Amino acid sequence: MDVFYSALEQVLRPDVLLIILGSSIYGIVIGAIPGLTATMGTALLVPLTFFMDPVPAIGAIVSATTMAIFAGDIPGALLRIPGTPASAAYTDEAYKMREKGLVELALGTNVICSMIGGLVGVLVLVLAAPQIAEFSLMFSSYEYFWLAVLGLSCAIMVSRGSAIKSTLSLTIGLMLSMIGIDVVMGIKRFTFGDTELVGGISIIPTLIGMFAITEILRKIGELRELPSVPPVHISRMMSGVGSAIWKYKGGVARSSILGTMIGALPGAGADIAAWVSYAVSKKFSKTPEKYGEGHIEGIISASSANNAALSGAYVPTLVFGIPGDTITAILIGVLLMKGITPGPMVFVMDAGLVNAIFMVFVLANVIMVPIGIGAVLMSRHVLGIPQAILFPIILLFCVIGAYAANNTLFDVWVMLVVGLVAYVLEENDFPLAPMILALILGPLIEENFMKSMIKADGHLIEFFSRPVSGTLGVITLAIWAVMTVMHLRHAKRKHAASLPS
Amino acid sequence: MKINDALFGIVFVLVASAILITVQSFPTLPDQPYGPATFPTIIATIMMLGGIALCISGYRERAHQPLIRLAAVMKTRDGLVRMACVPVFMILYILLSKPVGFPIVVPILLAAFLVITTRNWLKSVIIAAVTTALLWLFFVDFLMVSLPLGILTKVIY
Repeated sequence: MDVFYSALEQVLRPDVLLIILGSSIYGIVIGAIPGLTATMGTALLVPLTFFMDPVPAIGAIVSATTMAIFAGDIPGALLRIPGTPASAAYTDEAYKMREKGLVELALGTNVICSMIGGLVGVLVLVLAAPQIAEFSLMFSSYEYFWLAVLGLSCAIMVSRGSAIKSTLSLTIGLMLSMIGIDVVMGIKRFTFGDTELVGGISIIPTLIGMFAITEILRKIGELRELPSVPPVHISRMMSGVGSAIWKYKGGVARSSILGTMIGALPGAGADIAAWVSYAVSKKFSKTPEKYGEGHIEGIISASSANNAALSGAYVPTLVFGIPGDTITAILIGVLLMKGITPGPMVFVMDAGLVNAIFMVFVLANVIMVPIGIGAVLMSRHVLGIPQAILFPIILLFCVIGAYAANNTLFDVWVMLVVGLVAYVLEENDFPLAPMILALILGPLIEENFMKSMIKADGHLIEFFSRPVSGTLGVITLAIWAVMTVMHLRHAKRKHAASLPS
Repeated sequence: MKINDALFGIVFVLVASAILITVQSFPTLPDQPYGPATFPTIIATIMMLGGIALCISGYRERAHQPLIRLAAVMKTRDGLVRMACVPVFMILYILLSKPVGFPIVVPILLAAFLVITTRNWLKSVIIAAVTTALLWLFFVDFLMVSLPLGILTKVIY
């Protein structure tokens, strides 16, 4: 009980509550403006979290992302433009509802289902994370090595596009993580004689470059004015929502759990959860023919799933220090900056912090309803911010953010180079999620790999000698085998198709 | 901007080769063949294999994939200029903020960028001035970040 009260004390401080409120509003704005993603919003928050204590820093990220994922639904329903990729799965469905004069019902359902999905995800997090953490206390370097490799393998598997490009993206992240002092002998590696690189590549400019500069470069070329937004009535937003959700309660429960599980898979985030849940919901629906015609059932399922995925991603993040998606990868970077290494020991040594994180999640999901409704009512103003003004200001914010953490212009160079390289890579279908996951997990993998190699005296069979490590190792190798077979089949089909008949 | 996979493959193979050559000089642990070079060697080998695979696929697809194809937006003058403004803004900030000072450089750079995106001089200058002031208040006065004052250091102190 003491731990609970201590956590409560950490969360219910006026400054923490104010930060959560401010971040929620920030998240709503980021999510509602097409082109600004939740990941980009998180990357832009990182420089500010540098100046905060761990609980408010995590609170800021959790509340901003929770709101952003919901807010992405607003332009989706009103303008047929998803605010974030997590809303893309049901944008057409929501827009069809607008055409039927049911946009308020769609948005009201979005906000309530997002809250339910988010809370189910938190419930799973609260129930499962401590149990898994307790079990994983007996893990050795072998288990940690395989877990991290399994996480990266999943990230490649769930990435859209070529497995080779995902793997190469991963190797870039791992190589970037090796810059600086090595974990085995403490020698300098790949620093090119530059003292700025001895401490490793700075995480803040790298994140901003990867997720914000790329987005600015993509959007600034073709600036567009958004069409005007129709007026939204609050009374219509709430009537009919309860009965619609009750009618499809099974879908809400199924999608929330499915979303949490997908979120927990490294590399798979809220967008994949929404697509999968929408498809599963259609498959199980009694009226699948109504999908695509402005049917609320698909919206209920997918909007529950994407917020559930956000919470689910925190299970592997907190328990093993293995990020479930790009947002939690950034969060791990923030925790490491604060001197906190996520993993099972956090549950033992800093139970107050873990409980505080749980509470922040609950709080963020609950306040999403009033703030979300307010955002829908204000959507006309938020969507009216001209992109021609927005992106130059965001760029300036990026520059100051990259500079502020270490007060060095070298970090602005890092942001520039990473941003340009990441832009070119993404334009050519190299996914960035494996890269950021690898950058964060690189030191963990190398350290545990080297420890294991030294312990095993180079005998690789030792990596499979313990029951859990053996199982994880076999699963990982099976995933590699499946990916290789799939890739070869795909290549064979592509080659056959390209041959003249 | 689409680049043929083979070009990417060549870059990856070159980078991997450079890493493999660099790690040759790294020491190993006493009486053990492992050390700081072990992990980079494994990763660089994977990178090289992936690079070779991209070279092959890029070569096979050469009929459909030109070496470099600019994105549609880069073919328009306005789009290209706006995109070029992003790195130029950052480079000018890096080069000028310390000697000249944040309060002078940033409003000019931001106003120039806004003029290019909005084509409205007055609005751009006002927004640039207000944004700079707000960011200065937030970062310097609230978060205690020391943004460079440049030539203003002598004036103020």
